[in-house]
Amino acid sequence: MKALKLKKEDLYTYLESLKSYGELWGPVSRGEHYSYAKLANVRDVALQALRTIIPPKKFFVPPRFNMFRYSQGTYSETFEDVRPRVLFGIHPCDIHGLMILDELFLDRFPDPYYKKRREATAILGLSCIPDDKCMARSTNTHAVEGGFDLAFNELGEKYLVWVGSSLGDDLVRLNIDLFSEEIETSDVQKYLEWRRKRDSRYKLNFDLTGMPDIMELSWDSPLWDELADRCLSCGSCSMVCPTCNCYNIRDVSDLSFTSGVRQRRWDSCMNKEYALVAGGHNFREARAERLKLYYTHKLKAFITEYGKPSCVGCGRCIDTCPVSINVAEVIRGLKGQEVKL
Amino acid sequence: MGMMASKTQAAKPKVGFYGFTGCAGDLLAILHCENELLDIFNAVDVRSFLMASSEVHDDEELDISFLEGSITTDHQLESLADIRKRSKILVAIGSCACFGGPQAARLGYGDWKERFKKVYGAVKHTVAKPFESHPVDEYVKVDYHIPGCPIDRYQFFFALTRLAQGMSVELTTFPVCSECKWNENECLLLNAQLCLGPVTAGGCDSRCPSHNLPCIGCWGPAAEANVASEIDLLKERNFSSEEIVSKLRLFGGAAMVRRFADLLGIKAEEPARKPRPKKVREPIVAGKAKKRASTKKPKAKSRTKKR
Repeated sequence: MKALKLKKEDLYTYLESLKSYGELWGPVSRGEHYSYAKLANVRDVALQALRTIIPPKKFFVPPRFNMFRYSQGTYSETFEDVRPRVLFGIHPCDIHGLMILDELFLDRFPDPYYKKRREATAILGLSCIPDDKCMARSTNTHAVEGGFDLAFNELGEKYLVWVGSSLGDDLVRLNIDLFSEEIETSDVQKYLEWRRKRDSRYKLNFDLTGMPDIMELSWDSPLWDELADRCLSCGSCSMVCPTCNCYNIRDVSDLSFTSGVRQRRWDSCMNKEYALVAGGHNFREARAERLKLYYTHKLKAFITEYGKPSCVGCGRCIDTCPVSINVAEVIRGLKGQEVKL
Repeated sequence: MGMMASKTQAAKPKVGFYGFTGCAGDLLAILHCENELLDIFNAVDVRSFLMASSEVHDDEELDISFLEGSITTDHQLESLADIRKRSKILVAIGSCACFGGPQAARLGYGDWKERFKKVYGAVKHTVAKPFESHPVDEYVKVDYHIPGCPIDRYQFFFALTRLAQGMSVELTTFPVCSECKWNENECLLLNAQLCLGPVTAGGCDSRCPSHNLPCIGCWGPAAEANVASEIDLLKERNFSSEEIVSKLRLFGGAAMVRRFADLLGIKAEEPARKPRPKKVREPIVAGKAKKRASTKKPKAKSRTKKR
């Protein structure tokens, strides 16, 4: 990893030069919220955006896509949207989210649909100062040490730019004259100050040590029923979570009956049908059971298997749930504090 | 066409399309599929579709029948019984057939006769005897429900291709909100709008919220609608009970009233089920059905039109 400097006024010029690598995507303003969109005009990028409605997972496991087209006796895979792309403005929590998806989709059983999209995409991180819904410090996902090609850290009139991969190095070379390698003592000072400022801004600070133990003890807690009374089973929490990745598959036949497509669509363990099996048995018919599963996965099962929670503290569930059920409230409830629903 | 076509003709599933009380929007939605219309008529052998052709064969056994509209007269009840008897699979299409539609929105509000009089005055029924509007499954066994106002063409194609190939149909049962998030819409409930997304079945691709309009529930209740929580949430947003209940009833129809009668402030037993025609045996069909399959049927009349 190497550190460079880029003047703030040169950012747009640099973003424009990235288009020679592939499509440039970044957060843009959408009403009160933000969404990753293709940047026809680089000045549309919302540098102030903290969290988009849907995390960058949408680029690698789109909400719905066709895996392949089949016709009698043959099939051909369709990688419709696999093309070189640069994602700019990904915050550390979302980079951690992608690294979690990588463990699931690239590790033991590589998913070709995920892999092809991932390999064609450059990840350009961007630093941020948290708001009152961020809890990345609690999940230890507030900083990145890898998982990106370039990472931009804003320091007043300039960016410190970390090069995290050989692809990142190539991307710098697309317009190398804009970058400087001169890191001064004052830059280091400023960076350390900035880190202290960022860390001091977290309003949500939880000690997640031993969370699996607490979850285990809370298996029969009345908390789950209380939450279930309020839960709408709408699935929004799963859809906006950077690490939720469940999907369903269905074949959609053409009217000729001889051909069609196999579709993948996001699914959610909050849906009643999720744990329904052949023969009509449902393993998690009660809403409380499904809520419990969701949070057990985030705060217990994943920790047991991978050594970290599958919550990256991005705050999207806090932003999204119409009835205020979210990971922060659940942690409060599990720790015996009052839950505000 | 020619030899090959006539050879496969025999294997094509026989299908009928029928309309009862509704605006005909669902049958129209099918006819509006200009690009796929020839494919539909090639895929199945359409024996009856009055809106498309005056040549109907209504005395034949059918593999699949698609029914639009709610049941609200004695004549319709007879036709319905006849169609049920002739169909291996019967599919209710559109919210009127599935839930009773807006014409069932006042179900359980006092006596139907009183309501009728209020709208139409003291009229004599000469053509048919009307009664409270009910969804199709109030009277006969319905194998599949395809909701929507109107139905979504792709959901219809999906069901048609599945049924025609002898497979079951699994339509979307989760609420509109999931699709709303797929489309990356801002949540209208968080914007203090009266949105019924969380209690309404998806499958519409969150069409209205994607255009910044709150969901009005036209696809009927989701599989596991938490109506109590939705009502609480809307009350917190300062909507009145009357406003909320009338929105829930508008398209939720009989299904909403029966499932959530206590929440909607009416006695569950109040929505009387009438009229009760003579009992007849139901044909036994494979496929999913609602528990409330009734076994009432009047004497069937054949309504064949001879050319």
